[in-house]
Order: sequence, then C-alpha cells, then structure tokens
Amino acid sequence: MTSGALIFQSVILGLLLGGLYALLASGLTLYFGIMRVVMIAHSAFLILAAYLAWWSQTRLGVDPLLSLVVTVPLFFAAGVLLQRGLLSRLRPATLTMMSVLLTFAIAVIIEGLLGYAFTGTQRRIQLGYGTANLELLGARIAVVKLIAFGLAVAALLTLYLLLKRTTFGWALRATIQHPDAARLVGIDTNRVAGYGFGIGLATAAVGGTALALDTTIYPSLHWHWIGPLMAIIVVGGLGSVPGAAAAAMVLGLTQSLLQIPLNTTWAQTIFYLALFATLAFRPQGFFGGRLAQRF
Amino acid sequence: MSTRLTKMRWATAFGATVALALAGCSGGGEGSTSGDDPIVVGISLPLTGDFSEPGKGVQRGYQAWAKIVNDKGGLLGRQVELKILDDQSNADRVVSDYEQLIGQDQVDIVVGPFSTRLVVPAARVAEEYGMLFVEPAGAAKEVFEQGFKNLFYAAPAVANDHYNHLAEYILALPAGQRPTTAAYAAMDDPFAQGTAYGLKEKLEAGGVRTVVDEVYPPNTTEFSGIAAKIASSKADLVVGGSQYQDGVNLIVALQQLAYQPKLAAFSTAPTSPEFAAAIGNKTEGILAPTGYTQKAPYPSNVEFVEKYTAQFGTPPEEDEANAYTTGQVVAAAITAVGCAEQGECQQKLVDWVRGNTVETVVGPLSWDATGKPKGAHMIQQWVGGEIQIVLPADAKETDIVYPKPAW
Repeated sequence: MTSGALIFQSVILGLLLGGLYALLASGLTLYFGIMRVVMIAHSAFLILAAYLAWWSQTRLGVDPLLSLVVTVPLFFAAGVLLQRGLLSRLRPATLTMMSVLLTFAIAVIIEGLLGYAFTGTQRRIQLGYGTANLELLGARIAVVKLIAFGLAVAALLTLYLLLKRTTFGWALRATIQHPDAARLVGIDTNRVAGYGFGIGLATAAVGGTALALDTTIYPSLHWHWIGPLMAIIVVGGLGSVPGAAAAAMVLGLTQSLLQIPLNTTWAQTIFYLALFATLAFRPQGFFGGRLAQRF
Repeated sequence: MSTRLTKMRWATAFGATVALALAGCSGGGEGSTSGDDPIVVGISLPLTGDFSEPGKGVQRGYQAWAKIVNDKGGLLGRQVELKILDDQSNADRVVSDYEQLIGQDQVDIVVGPFSTRLVVPAARVAEEYGMLFVEPAGAAKEVFEQGFKNLFYAAPAVANDHYNHLAEYILALPAGQRPTTAAYAAMDDPFAQGTAYGLKEKLEAGGVRTVVDEVYPPNTTEFSGIAAKIASSKADLVVGGSQYQDGVNLIVALQQLAYQPKLAAFSTAPTSPEFAAAIGNKTEGILAPTGYTQKAPYPSNVEFVEKYTAQFGTPPEEDEANAYTTGQVVAAAITAVGCAEQGECQQKLVDWVRGNTVETVVGPLSWDATGKPKGAHMIQQWVGGEIQIVLPADAKETDIVYPKPAW
C-alpha cells in the first residue's frame, strides 16, 4: 500500500526536520555541559528570535536571514549577561534544580512580554519563496526547509570548529570536562562559562530564525518545543553537541517515517519513548556524553 | 469593583431605557397600559474570566438587538430591557445567576450565555422553570443529547452540518467531473473534527472514497508528514478540519509538495483576516464554511450591520451576530404569540419556535425536536483575491470555481 515515493519523500522530510532539531537542541546541551544548567528558557529565546525575525521582515522589510546580523550578537550578549548576572550567583550545591526554577521564570517573562508586545495572534513570515520547491527524484524539497537546514549545518559546523580549533574552544572544553583542573592551568572558567553561555544563546538566535521561516509562531509556542528538545539532549548524552546532533537526526527521521503507518499523535511520542528508554537503559546517553548524570 | 462597575453600567442602561420609553410614549402617544411595563430579558454572560472576550461580543449583540427593537417601538408595544449578570466564566455561577433571574428578579424571558460549557447548566435551570431557552453558543452535539425540550440553538448549523451545501454541490456534479477520492485531516477537537467528519460521512455515502484520514493534536506545528501522505495519495479533494494556525501550516506544507487538488476546503482559517498574508496570497479557490458574514444579503442583516456599526463603531462579528439572531428568534415568537411573561406563555413560545421558521441575519432558521438547527453554513471561496459567498445559490456573491485553479 505504502508507495516507495512516499517513503523517499518522508526520508527527505525527516532529514530536513532532524537538521532543524539539531540546531535547536545544540545550545541546550551546551549550557548543561558548561555548568550543569537546565535551561528551560532556551525554547522561549528561540521564539523570541523567531519574533524578531518576523518583526524585521514585516515592519522593516528586511529578509529574516539578514536579521541574524543583529540578533546573533544581541543574543550572545544576553547570554553572557544572563550567566554572569544570574546563573553564576546560584549556589553550586543546588545549581541544577534552582536553574530550572530561574530559567522557568525567564521563559514565562519572555512569553508574557511577547504577548504584550505582539499579542497572542499567530504570526507567519510571508516570503516570496515560502512555497517554492525543488524536485529531487520525484520528491519535493521546500526551499525554506532547505534554507533552515543550511542554517543548521552552518551554525553547527561553526560551533564545531570553534570548540575544536580555537584556544577559546579548548578552554571551554576544559571547563566542561574538569572545571577545577581548568582553573589550575590558568583558565578563567567564569569568563569562559559566560562566553560559552553566550554562544549557546547565539545558536538560539539562528535556530529561532530558521524556525520562523516555515511555521506560524505565537508566544506560548515554546512549551511545545522544550519537551522534544530536552529528550534529544538526554538521548544524545547531556553536554555533547555532536551527540545532540546525531540524536536529533535519528529522532527526526524516525518521527517522519513513523508518520506513515501511525498518526501525528503517536509519531510524536517517539521523543518520550526514546527518553524513557535512555533513562532506563543508558542514562549517559547513546552518543558520547561522558558527563551525563541522572537528574 | 467590577460589581460596582456593572451596577453603574446597569444604572446607565436603565436610565437610557426609561428615557427612551418616555420619549416613545410622548412621541407616539399610543398609550397602551402594558407599554409602561418593559419586557425584561435575563442573561448571564462571561464578562470576566476565560470567555470575557467572546462574552463581551455576545453582550454587544444583545445590546444592539434591544436598541434596534426599542427604536422601532419595542415588542407588543412594550420596551425591551436587558438584565445582564456576570458569571465570571464559571459554570457554578451561571446556575445561580439563572435561578436568580427567573426566581427572584422575575424576568419575562431568558436567553442563553456563551460557550457550550455554560449553555448546558444554564439550559437545565431554564428547563426546570419551563422557560423558553434560545441560545447563541453551544454548537457541540452534547448540548442536543441532554433531552432539553425548551432549548433552541440560534445559528445556522451545528459543526457536523457546516459543509452540507458543499456536500450537496459535490454529489450533484455530473459523474465525469465528480471527485472520486478525498483526503481528510482534522484537529483532535470536537468542533474542528465535527466539520470535517460531517462532510466525510456525506461524501462517503455518496461514493467518494476516503484515501487519507488523519487526526492531529491541537499543538501540532509540523505538517509536512501529513502533507506528504495527502500529496502521495493524489486525492481529488482535500478537507481540513482546522482552527487557524494548523490550517495555515497544512496548506503551506501541501503547496510545498506541489499537491494540486481539484477542491480544497478548510474550516475557520480561510475566513480569518490574516489568512491571505499568512499563506503568501496563494489562496485562490480555497473554500470555507462560515456561520456569519457581514456581506450576507438577508434583509435584516443589512439593517443589523448598518445600525450595529453606527452604535459601536465597528462592524459585527460572529459572536455579536449569534446574540442578535437569538434576540430575533425570541422577538418573532413574542410577536406571533402575543405574550411575554413567565407561566403558561412560555410553553406557547416554545411551541411556536418549534413549529415555525424565523428570518434572521444568518438566514431562515428552523429546528428539530432536540433544538438543533436544520440549516447549513454558507460556503465562501477565495475568488479573485477576496473571500466571497458561493453557496447556497440564493445567497451567492459569485459562482463557485471548480475545479479550483492551481495554488
């Protein structure tokens, strides 16, 4: 009954979706790696970035991709301030749990401000190429999804190179792996953690823009995203960016393929099934994630 | 604070009504004895809480109805006076409100509150006291499964009947043109699903094969999977049981996959003012059922839109229109039966409504034994860059375009 064309189409859609998930989840896993912070507000920042992209397109007539020039540095600065001003003041003993409360509050504040500024009306970026598509061996690839995927690849590649090839990246990874030892060799771990947090939030700027290209947005949309993103970073191994990316691709693809025999409701449960399975059988995650711990 | 405000508002409204009544008496000089005694209409509305937005819309609809009726000299020569209580969107409050209105305040007539959740408990009270109960909200089928004998829903159709005109049109097409396969995608929500499944039932009975039948949770934003299934089925027609954002996202996802159906019908989303911009103006040929439009040509609607706009500064929307329709039904019954008070009169009013058809701003309405309206929604279509009425034939602004042009 199921045609090969539908399966091929679903594989393509799944890969595109997985790429987007990888981008959206990368910042979340980074925060946890840097300072064991569960950043509930990450998806709220994604939606904030999506709104900024929408706003610059609708009100200023600027292509959403160009808005990145402003939003990426802005979010980086916000991340540094957030870490230095708020999160670093939490007591280390209760950091993980208190960070949930603190970032939960930030998420609610962002949601409230978005509702105040833009109302609860659903918004969608109107692009000339919004429904344009390319044909590949009988399957259709939407241009906007391809752009979002491209953004994900570019952002993750940049992140990878930054972590592996720069002095700052070494310092950041040292801070992630062993903060005490990092301090002993002379790394200012507080400053590095602040910048690391900024980078995490900068990925939210890119992710939010990618998200806004092909979906309607509304202030409370972030609650819909935080669950799947949390599942992705746990499956991928908390703190591991490549792990999160791999888990995102696998889960995106699985979700897309499950949609063929099952319906949307059941296809979505793959995230939670994977989360349960991971916590039950392999709490450190399936991809890398040396750091992971139960929480 | 809010009760004081409400009281003040009441005082103002009452004062205005008295002034109007006096003016009417001195001007017209009809001087019937009952003219001194207004017909008091009791209503409980959610003016605060979850449903305050639509609740206030319904309130404006009732106010517009009372003003238009009173400007013409009232009903049976008596002025109409509204007595509105705020139920704070609370189902417990709504029961005590109607108890108070009927028992203590001895209102002559009661009409319904807003939302299905509040209509059912309110109708139960009205039923106990034997009062006629016409209501402007509560389209879900549970409302009509309670065995109410005095309840009437003052709108053209319940969700399952929204697409009736379209079903008739499709099944009447000559065999060569008639679509043979259909794809359905509906939100997991009684209203949205009801619209799509109402059409599905009728088309299946008429021989149109269902090739895709998807239900998605209300928070879904990713529609490419569902769209891929529909596109690969190459169904002749696609029906979306949608609210707003899901309808928009599904249409865009279908367009991205270059799917071109002969007919595309979606509930709610296409009638929203933001719709065209949201899907990049690729709207051509999309159909939607609609319960109320300011453009409907029914004579009382032209008057309603004009006078409502003069009174409130903006044209009426569906909530306002439903309340106004409720008023029209009650007014027709009172005028025909010739009474408006508690007691035996109420049963006469119920019997009259049950046996007659009422001309309203949403067209002629009549009801079955459960109080369910027998009509269907008008069908609108995006033609030439604007949404226009295409069905039924007697209300159409332009001809239906089938097969729809490529989007």
